[in-house]
Amino acid sequence: MKKMFVGFSIFIAAIFYVFLAKAAIAADDENCLMCHKYIKMGRITEEGERKYYYVDEEIFSKTVHNRVKCRDCHSYIEKLPHDPVKEGVQCNSKCHSIQNPATRKDFDHNNIYDVYMKSVHGREKVAAKEVDKDKPYCIFCHTNPLYIPHEIPNADGTVRSAEVPAAIADRCDVCHQKREFVEHRYLHTARRILSVKRSPQEVVELCLTCHGNEEFLERHEKLHEGEGKHLGKKFTFAGEAYQESFHGKVTKYGFKEAANCLSCHAKSENYYLAVHDIRSSKDPESTTHKNNRVNTCGKCHTDANKNFARIDPHPTERKDDNPFIYYIANVYGPFGDMVTYALLGLTILETIGRKRDGIAWVLRRGSTWRKKSKRGRDRR
Amino acid sequence: MRLSEDAKKVLNATIAINKTSEKDRKELEELIEMMPDDRVLLYKNVDSNPVGDLPRYSIHIRAQHLMMFISFLLLAFTGLPVHYNETFWAIPFNKLLGGIYVTRIIHRAMASIFIFAAVYHILTLVFDTLLKIKNKRFDWRRTVIPHLKDAFDIRDDIFYFLGKKDQRPEMDKFAYKQKIHYFAALFGNTVMMVTGATFLFPDTIARFNPLPADYVQSVTRLFHPHEALLALIVIAFWHWYNVHFAPGRFPMQWTFLTGRLTREHQIEEHFLEYLRNLVEMPSERVYLKELLLKKKLLSREAEARIRTLKPGFESD
Repeated sequence: MKKMFVGFSIFIAAIFYVFLAKAAIAADDENCLMCHKYIKMGRITEEGERKYYYVDEEIFSKTVHNRVKCRDCHSYIEKLPHDPVKEGVQCNSKCHSIQNPATRKDFDHNNIYDVYMKSVHGREKVAAKEVDKDKPYCIFCHTNPLYIPHEIPNADGTVRSAEVPAAIADRCDVCHQKREFVEHRYLHTARRILSVKRSPQEVVELCLTCHGNEEFLERHEKLHEGEGKHLGKKFTFAGEAYQESFHGKVTKYGFKEAANCLSCHAKSENYYLAVHDIRSSKDPESTTHKNNRVNTCGKCHTDANKNFARIDPHPTERKDDNPFIYYIANVYGPFGDMVTYALLGLTILETIGRKRDGIAWVLRRGSTWRKKSKRGRDRR
Repeated sequence: MRLSEDAKKVLNATIAINKTSEKDRKELEELIEMMPDDRVLLYKNVDSNPVGDLPRYSIHIRAQHLMMFISFLLLAFTGLPVHYNETFWAIPFNKLLGGIYVTRIIHRAMASIFIFAAVYHILTLVFDTLLKIKNKRFDWRRTVIPHLKDAFDIRDDIFYFLGKKDQRPEMDKFAYKQKIHYFAALFGNTVMMVTGATFLFPDTIARFNPLPADYVQSVTRLFHPHEALLALIVIAFWHWYNVHFAPGRFPMQWTFLTGRLTREHQIEEHFLEYLRNLVEMPSERVYLKELLLKKKLLSREAEARIRTLKPGFESD
């Protein structure tokens, strides 16, 4: 009897275990999670920056890289436990664990990587030159937010839902039978369709993390000058000036139809390639090159011609940027002040004069002349 | 009352326009002789209906003013939160309307009413003037056309308010203040409409505009908000002062609704127009004559003359 009870308890516990325990999800053949599953795993660098080494298996299993083995990207790890990491992830390496279903070759990001390397932002992971260190590497924009729990993207503090809606999965299930397959494919496609593209507002915010940081921009400009190159005259304040333009004002508050940074600075043919192909306006291939501006503006402003393309999309009243308007503003401002004070003066004068003449400052009922004049003007 | 040169000119012109009969002219001369030299006595003693006694604005002008001021205020209320979109008051205000993009849609809708009122006004002026010229009733002194007298009026009015002069200047239907205001508004509205159009149709305007568009656009970017602020300051500090808060006008003049001006105001600030009223409105002559006799406000000459006629007549 006692044995039966123990056996039954074990059976019940086993059932609970099967139903409640998390299923092993990610492909962790290398057993990295042996250590990286611990939540407290991390350190604080000498600069005071927090580094997290914790990987939440459940979250990672829902990211785009869930089928990629850790060492496909972290290829410098050769033994366990591994040495302190110095290099970081390179995004142009081959993923041996994933095949490109179209070509049957090892998957890589090199198409986009090559385009990016030619753009004005392009740089190696470990930048050789001091100037290049200011430029963004892939992971600056591609934060893979679900991978790092403290970098949760939604404004209200919630994690982006990566659950597959049952109503959809049930339907796929009917033919595809394997729920795991269905969920994986659904997430793969859904992520690309729904959430991978930043909203115009987010694009501007992203660009402004560097292009709106005055200290950073000035240092970068100095570094460039040290190399004997000259950046555009608007380089240090273009972002800030854009925010003050009509495009910037409405985009800042979530309007989606006005031009954001990418609308003009990236080509329009293939958005995903083009955003990696931002070039200097001195480059004849650039959308912002003098010869291409009419076309670029014409994407939205259908009536655009050469005259229209002269209009400054990053307007300021700075003396070094637009001396013409700087001097006009300096005449117009005092003129406005003068008018205001002149009118105020006349108003005060009139009030004093009329009060002295014996006018009542009361609700009118018939005549307004109630009091005696202080000038002794009342003959009767 | 001894009339000034300006007043004589206005009186003669009005008599000629109205083809006033010999009898009426005599009556007028007599009445003017009876009026006291001190106009203060006149406007302090006449009866005034607060909503207005004497005609001033036609229904068209009133309709335009109504459209203009409603759209102007809403333009200001929707333009300022777009210009100052990052201030503490603009953020909740824009949210209240549904976002900055809704604010600017309202701004454009109001601008269309504003432009309609302006076009309506120009048409009214043109047709009214043409009609008057055709009927030979056009008197340029009765319009907003500025002339040298206005400059002297400003000087004299300032002297009066400072206490250096006895009487306010004899001003016409449109006093210097109204003329300044009108032309400021004319200039301001034109600037606002043109610059606003370059914001709404930047590419189309650049196509027809022979000037370099970048310079034009940077000027319009500067002028649109600043001219708007200036207009708002003029409206808030000056126009509202003149028609609402000035002692004697408080709480408001009803002219913009009734089209009529109070008698005391007409005599005080638009004396020349009051002379025209006397020519054109026999009832006004009768009223004024009775008032002068009743309240014994006669000029010295008239007093002396009447005393010889009626020895019992007395004035204190």
